[in-house]
Amino acid sequence: MNLHMLLIEPFVEFGFMRRALVACLALAIGCGPVGTLLVIRRMSLVGDAMAHALLPGAAIGFVLGGFSLAAMSVGAFVGGLLVALLAGFVTRVTSQREDASFAAFYLIALAAGVMIVSLRGSSVDLYHLLFGTILAVDDAALILIAMVASLTVLVLALIYRPLILECFDPAFLRDSSGHGALYHLLFLGLVVVNLVAGFQALGTLMAVGLMMLPATAARFWATEIWSLALLASLIALLCGLGGLLISFHGNLPSGPAIVSLAGVVFLVSLVVGPREGLVARWYQTRRTHSLSTR
Amino acid sequence: MNYSHLFFAKLILALLVTCSTNVTAAPDQVRPLRVVASFSILADLTRNIGGDVVDVAALVGPDADAHVFEPSPADARRLAQADLVIVNGLHFEGWLARLITASGYRGPIVVATTNVNVRRGRGVPDPHAWQDLRNGRIYVENIRAALVNARPAHAASLNERAEAYGAKLVALDQATRARFTAVPASSRRVITLHDAFGYFGAAYGVEFLAPQGWSTDSEASAANVAQLIRQMREQRVRAVFLENISDPRLMLRLVREGGGVIGGTLYSDALSPPGTAADTYLRMFEHNTATIIKAIAPSAATAPRATAGAP
Amino acid sequence: MAARLGGRTAHRRALGGRRVGARIGATVTTSLAQVRNLTVSYRGRPAISALTGSFTTGSLTAVYGPNGAGKSTLLAALAGRLAAANGSIELPAAVRARTAFLPQRAELDRTFPIRVGDVVAMGHWARAGAFGQVNQVQRRATADALHRVGISGLADRLIGEVSVGQLQRALFARVILQDAPLILLDEPFAAVDTTTTADLLGVIRQWHVERRTVVAVLHDVAQVRAHFPQTLLLARKMLAWGATTDVVTAVNLAQLRTMAEGWTLAGDDWREAVAV
Repeated sequence: MNLHMLLIEPFVEFGFMRRALVACLALAIGCGPVGTLLVIRRMSLVGDAMAHALLPGAAIGFVLGGFSLAAMSVGAFVGGLLVALLAGFVTRVTSQREDASFAAFYLIALAAGVMIVSLRGSSVDLYHLLFGTILAVDDAALILIAMVASLTVLVLALIYRPLILECFDPAFLRDSSGHGALYHLLFLGLVVVNLVAGFQALGTLMAVGLMMLPATAARFWATEIWSLALLASLIALLCGLGGLLISFHGNLPSGPAIVSLAGVVFLVSLVVGPREGLVARWYQTRRTHSLSTR
Repeated sequence: MNYSHLFFAKLILALLVTCSTNVTAAPDQVRPLRVVASFSILADLTRNIGGDVVDVAALVGPDADAHVFEPSPADARRLAQADLVIVNGLHFEGWLARLITASGYRGPIVVATTNVNVRRGRGVPDPHAWQDLRNGRIYVENIRAALVNARPAHAASLNERAEAYGAKLVALDQATRARFTAVPASSRRVITLHDAFGYFGAAYGVEFLAPQGWSTDSEASAANVAQLIRQMREQRVRAVFLENISDPRLMLRLVREGGGVIGGTLYSDALSPPGTAADTYLRMFEHNTATIIKAIAPSAATAPRATAGAP
Repeated sequence: MAARLGGRTAHRRALGGRRVGARIGATVTTSLAQVRNLTVSYRGRPAISALTGSFTTGSLTAVYGPNGAGKSTLLAALAGRLAAANGSIELPAAVRARTAFLPQRAELDRTFPIRVGDVVAMGHWARAGAFGQVNQVQRRATADALHRVGISGLADRLIGEVSVGQLQRALFARVILQDAPLILLDEPFAAVDTTTTADLLGVIRQWHVERRTVVAVLHDVAQVRAHFPQTLLLARKMLAWGATTDVVTAVNLAQLRTMAEGWTLAGDDWREAVAV
């Protein structure tokens, strides 16, 4: 089996592979920067929590509209934003920290979602909500993903500086202009919208994997925010491509293959990454040790 | 005063005793046998054989998937109060053992697939034995024996009903065979999402292709989907069937790319809700057969088809 | 006793000076921030009680007192981060919008992937708004600021790669760029080396020359005496407020200690209040 058959042929022969690849590309463009910002803001677990928070909204959308993309997406988006807003409100008004109020609300949301689905339908419907498949991306889903990616890039380009400021030194921003909350909310909105797009293609749990793993892996290679984001997107795209090929040649389920590959990339980066990778640190300690003993 | 108190006490006691003895001494044979069947098809069979003698409830109802069923406390309660439990067996109900333990049910459990000729697919036993009407008769026999055992007084009527129903199954089996034989072998290839029709295919000579294993809780791999599309193109399999318990998006994708046509909905693991096309075992079978034949028979060949290889 | 009176006299003189100046009309020393009977609470207890006085425009004032005296609270209230439970702070709106505040333990994430130069440049954004373009003039201003604080070569380093002292210099450079009429510094030299301290005191001196109003919380009396012409001695209540030479006396310092011993509150609570 030559390289062409291995890498190119599956995409030439099958439309569903091509569509899946395009979906991965669009997802990577959106998830890369968003995931990077989540990581540097120390909000890595918010991604997963938010994915669960999408559930009741999507469930209500499903109950009202069946497997309709529009219904589930709008429902998920509204539900996710609502949880974010409520958590933010509680954090501001009480002495609760952001992570505690977020945890409280996303768990409430998750339970509500499961309850709604079991009241209305069987658990297999819930299962399909949680694990979509990238092999069944239809036109509507592709358009949604593409739109989300464009929107993400546009908004981030626009609010880049105040967003970084808000991430890094929110008190300073508050003293200067007082709009910190707005940028924080815009950012959370971007997280929700990328997860909504992702869950249509990969399911909520896998979508978070594609958002967080490349971003955490990138930290072992790059230092600037823009290069981190770019690298995260690149890793996400390559994992999408690779995962699809593994699923194709190795007969493994596609979503888990993609995310597992991203996991492998993370582990490899952890070990050999030049910035604080295990090997680099070991080498560093050896060098300082030998310097001090000279 | 004391005497009147004593008198009232005795009166009440007497009333209580007569009431309770009325309840407990009444022959068990009078009230209907409470049967809990694991899923809708078994429930339907039991009702047909048992008639008034039984009061049947199904745990996994119509349009529900027994593979991913999650029992609720109400199910445990129903089980606790049951006299008889009927299950499919062959690992169809993965959640059942725990539920039975949890409910504290200690009565008899009838495994409907006892003595069935088990088919093996992909290395494990295929539980969907009811898809072959001959196996259906074995199911009926097993259920009949259990019911007669529980209600010997009604043995006569039970046997009669079982016999009548069995005859219907035989008739349907022969009719189905005839219908499929009429269709040329090369056309007898269809696609469903779910490998539930192994027995059906083997019995009536239809080849069922599917991109997944036979449980809905495993995800499709790209290789599966690709292989299926290749087959659809090469072997010109055109009829694709949706199921009442799975995600239609993957099916639609297959149709677009493989150049097939959606033939309709097939009912595999569950009946449809009461009042619809496949609400009993017999009607489900007739519906499935009719739907498949309609899609693959020559008259359907002139139906418009999607272009093969569409992105 | 006399010294205490001296303190009060000094305070009156500070106020009187303004009134006298206004009457004579010679040197116009205006009050920038007028504090009237200010009480600020933290968790139901008063951190500052009934503080009254004013910071004249262009003054260089040290706020000195024991732990838990409400010094950080005062600065936070001046910066507009804490609301008064009673009383008020009068500040011209233009000044309030352009106040530079350097909090005590800047809760900056040292692992954040941002360069020193970018942190300093944030000072521009405070003025020009976050969407303003970074032009040549601003770039030169940034370079100048870096030079003034002595870290010209560190602009490209990540903040995790520089020392505490160098980071503090960078934060001072950011304040320079903010071009603020009122500068509030909460313990700016805590955990910073002597060279850096000396250099930054020079920057503060420059600000004073530029007629900016500077208020700094300090814990080193020697620094107060050497570099700050005005002092506010605070122990939840004002003890003395005026010229350093009048106010910072041995008697007053002893008095501060006595006042502090009367408290039962642990010191850490107060820090947390202002870290908001």
